[in-house]
Amino acid sequence: MTDAAVYRETTAQPRTQSVPLAHVSLELGHLYMEDFEGGADRLAEHFARVRPWADAVHAMAAVEARRPRVSTCFLIDDYFTRFSTPAELVPMVLAQAEKAGLTIDYLARESACAVADGTAVAEAVESRLVDSPAPGSDGSRPPARETGWLANGERAPGLETALEAMAHVAPWQPPRETGARRHSVFLDVELWDEKDGRRTWSCPFLAAVWQLARLGLLRHLGEPVLSPRSWPEAPFPRDWDDLPPVIQLNPAAAPFAAYRTWSALPTRFLPIEHAVRVLLDQIEADPQAMRQAADRAAGEGLPLPDEIPERISYVFYPGT
Amino acid sequence: MTAWGRAADPVLICGEVRTGLLQHSESLPARAVADLLRLRPDERVRISERPNGYAVSPEVLTGVDCRLPAAGGARTRVVGTVAARAVVTEGRMLQATASIVVAGPGPDVRHPWSHYLARPGVVEPLGKLPERAVADGLLAGRARPGELDLGAVAERLLARVARHRALDQRAPFKSRRTRLRWVALRALDGEGPSLDSFTLAEDGLRTVELRLPARVSPAAAAALCEDLALHDWLLTTLVRMVERSRLGSADAPEAVLSLRPAVDHLLHLWMPTAHVDRTLAPLWDVLEREPGFTRQWQTLVQRIRDQLALQAITLRRDALTAH
Amino acid sequence: MLVFAASDKGGTGRSVTSANVAFRRALAGDDVAYVDFDFGSPTAAAVFDVPEAMGGVESGGLHTYLRGKAAEPVRVDVWAETEHEVLRDRPTGAGNLVLLPGDRSGGEFAVGKDVLRRCTDLFLRLNSEFDIVVVDLSAGRSFAMDMALEVTSLPELRGVGSRWLVYHRWTRQHVIAASGLVFGSRGILAGGVARGHDEEDLANRIRFVRAAVPDPEAAPWAMVPPAQSAWMRKCDQDLNELAAQRNVGYTRMLGSIPLEPVLQWREQLITDEDVLSSRVANMETLQALKDLAQALDDDEAWGPA
Ligand SMILES: Nc1ncnc2c1ncn2[C@@H]1O[C@H](COP(=O)(O)OP(=O)(O)O)[C@@H](O)[C@H]1O
Ligand SMILES: [Mg+2]
Repeated sequence: MTDAAVYRETTAQPRTQSVPLAHVSLELGHLYMEDFEGGADRLAEHFARVRPWADAVHAMAAVEARRPRVSTCFLIDDYFTRFSTPAELVPMVLAQAEKAGLTIDYLARESACAVADGTAVAEAVESRLVDSPAPGSDGSRPPARETGWLANGERAPGLETALEAMAHVAPWQPPRETGARRHSVFLDVELWDEKDGRRTWSCPFLAAVWQLARLGLLRHLGEPVLSPRSWPEAPFPRDWDDLPPVIQLNPAAAPFAAYRTWSALPTRFLPIEHAVRVLLDQIEADPQAMRQAADRAAGEGLPLPDEIPERISYVFYPGT
Repeated sequence: MTAWGRAADPVLICGEVRTGLLQHSESLPARAVADLLRLRPDERVRISERPNGYAVSPEVLTGVDCRLPAAGGARTRVVGTVAARAVVTEGRMLQATASIVVAGPGPDVRHPWSHYLARPGVVEPLGKLPERAVADGLLAGRARPGELDLGAVAERLLARVARHRALDQRAPFKSRRTRLRWVALRALDGEGPSLDSFTLAEDGLRTVELRLPARVSPAAAAALCEDLALHDWLLTTLVRMVERSRLGSADAPEAVLSLRPAVDHLLHLWMPTAHVDRTLAPLWDVLEREPGFTRQWQTLVQRIRDQLALQAITLRRDALTAH
Repeated sequence: MLVFAASDKGGTGRSVTSANVAFRRALAGDDVAYVDFDFGSPTAAAVFDVPEAMGGVESGGLHTYLRGKAAEPVRVDVWAETEHEVLRDRPTGAGNLVLLPGDRSGGEFAVGKDVLRRCTDLFLRLNSEFDIVVVDLSAGRSFAMDMALEVTSLPELRGVGSRWLVYHRWTRQHVIAASGLVFGSRGILAGGVARGHDEEDLANRIRFVRAAVPDPEAAPWAMVPPAQSAWMRKCDQDLNELAAQRNVGYTRMLGSIPLEPVLQWREQLITDEDVLSSRVANMETLQALKDLAQALDDDEAWGPA
């Protein structure tokens, strides 16, 4: 519209806040209990292996941008198992990283991908899943959804269809990957399970939320979620719940969120990350947040793929 | 607002609106309306208070990969998402719209799904798109199986909102829903928006054909058609109520009594273009000239008011003579 | 208002009587929907004389809808589609009369969460549009009945009035069966309570309808020899006692439709013409149908029995 409106109601035109963006968000590691049980040596070995790849990521970023903004992050699992305390663990992680010549700019808690500061982040992301339609989907029926699961194609016909077709015994039919190149790699991802009324999000689902956070695409009622809070030095709290969802350890760091992400992970994470891509392929991120990132990238003259899975990359190094 | 969504070179927008009375004994307060329309936990419901109460839900998407109906039997496969939203006006009327923006010709193979999710509400044809034939196909009757069914998407959303527990299901009167299907082709360069036809088809279906400049957003087009559908519903419903009350027949008090709900719940809802984009509001003038929506409405309202006044006089006289 | 029509046995006269009741209400100016959940033996289309929906529709009917394969079930506008001579001209002042048929090859099926949700949506939608929604259920404790009990117990429907008509014929076996259907261990009340209905409230919303009742005092029975007539009177009296014992007596009865020769011969609507012009049907039948139709929302006839 050419002339600005005189009368305006803020509740009628809600704003979506933007977040600062780096070029690359580099994840230096993801710590589980079993890693922690391996002691400081295991951490040292991990960081030593990651170091050359981190250098490579920095070098690559420098090809695309003259003054590349790369931020690093580290994720600690406090969701599936609780171990140690921030006071004990965080300084140890920082020390081992430093020994390998790496700086951890941001540190995040995995449980924050489920609920951050009272906001049910995972639940909101689940509500943004839009199932990829199988060919022939004309909108007349809702997508064939298995509650708590998401697939990358059509499942093998289940009991209901089998019963209906009872008259003429239906032969077995394989599941099919939508958009498969001739042969299918069908994957069905469990989003969560429930025991005694308590829902536990699956590791791939939380990892997908984590990717969206790092891409700066999460909003709650227009406000950013999982925004880092500054916590430059020890002491760290004795309880994980007292640590903010994401803390900024390095005051000079580039922004936490970025156009693209790189994650350096041991090979055993490959199936998880395949599942993450299946999820991200079917998540409709906040359109305003998407637009903000696209506009900003265009303003910097940087190419940014529309597709979220295209924005994430990995380095898988040998190891279990 | 920017162009026809994020489609590359969009050629056509279309949608279907379903309109009905909110099934509640009184008009629903704004706070309850916001609850009703919170289709997603992380997105706000847009709420206006002036010139009347109006709330719009966040959009929800449904993936489709199917043919578009086309006159002459052309088969065009499209892939993308249908955007659907629900709207509540004055806590009294509920509408659900499902709409798509159809992009210009695309490649012959389907992209990864995330490509389409980056363009919410857009469907892309695989190959060529005969836009005129598709527009005609969309406007003509019921979709065949395998052809895009926007009505079903709108219907599901309407049902989802209509079963919300905040609603007591005790509406003050019975009424029917209406369906309005609309198609907008691109206006020629340099030309403004136009409303080319508004048709009352059978089965309660209304069809609207528009031409819109590329700068008009799909949301603005949807809001225009929701506004048309709302007022068409009001008119249709009031005409039917007056017809059935047998106003002017022998049993006058009974007839007037049966129109009480209309007086209490409908008459104040008439407010064309209240939430229509300024550039599209003039399209209403076409309907005001022919057939004259507001004229018919005012005539009906006046008739009801006259009868009410007459009744009041009779009642008072009866009361006086009884003493 | 939702009106569920149930019976323990088939062939009681449930469908034919319910269709006539729906017809009467529409004539009186109400908008009426007739929902054919009698998945075993759909008769409504025959009664309304709608050939295209005879025995259910080819596709897109209630089965298709409940299975989630159609966004909305097919509706048949009876006034517009009927082949019945008299009905084709919709009488002035009549309300809408719409039939929702099942699918021809439908039959019974299992009720999952999705089916319940669709049934909920259907009932809410019809309730918003029609003054009276007659739901004809299959005979006995059917899947359709379970679904009706379940859906009406949901909080979503707490504001929607629902009433139950239990049809039976006027014989010992039918009286006992009807009583069992309501009060038995697997009956409507027990099933309703198991789904969260309040027993007393539900009981207050159930009434019995006697169908095809012979009147020993009226033709042709009044013509028979005195011995036969005395015997019939005794039977009638015994039945009344049995009915009272089994909670099926007068206080829980909403209507009684006389044995009607026309209906004996043919499943059809009884029009005013049938009684007043051609005089093939009895005045008493017409009156009983009108009374029953009116009693549906006559609050005096409902409540604690
Ligand atoms: N009042 C009546 N007098 C005589 N026959 C009747 C009467 N009501 C119904 N019938 C007949 O009884 C038969 C069974 O009726 P129907 O309505 O199909 O039963 P249901 O639905 O209980 O299975 C039909 O042939 C019908 O015409
Ligand atoms: Mg029957």
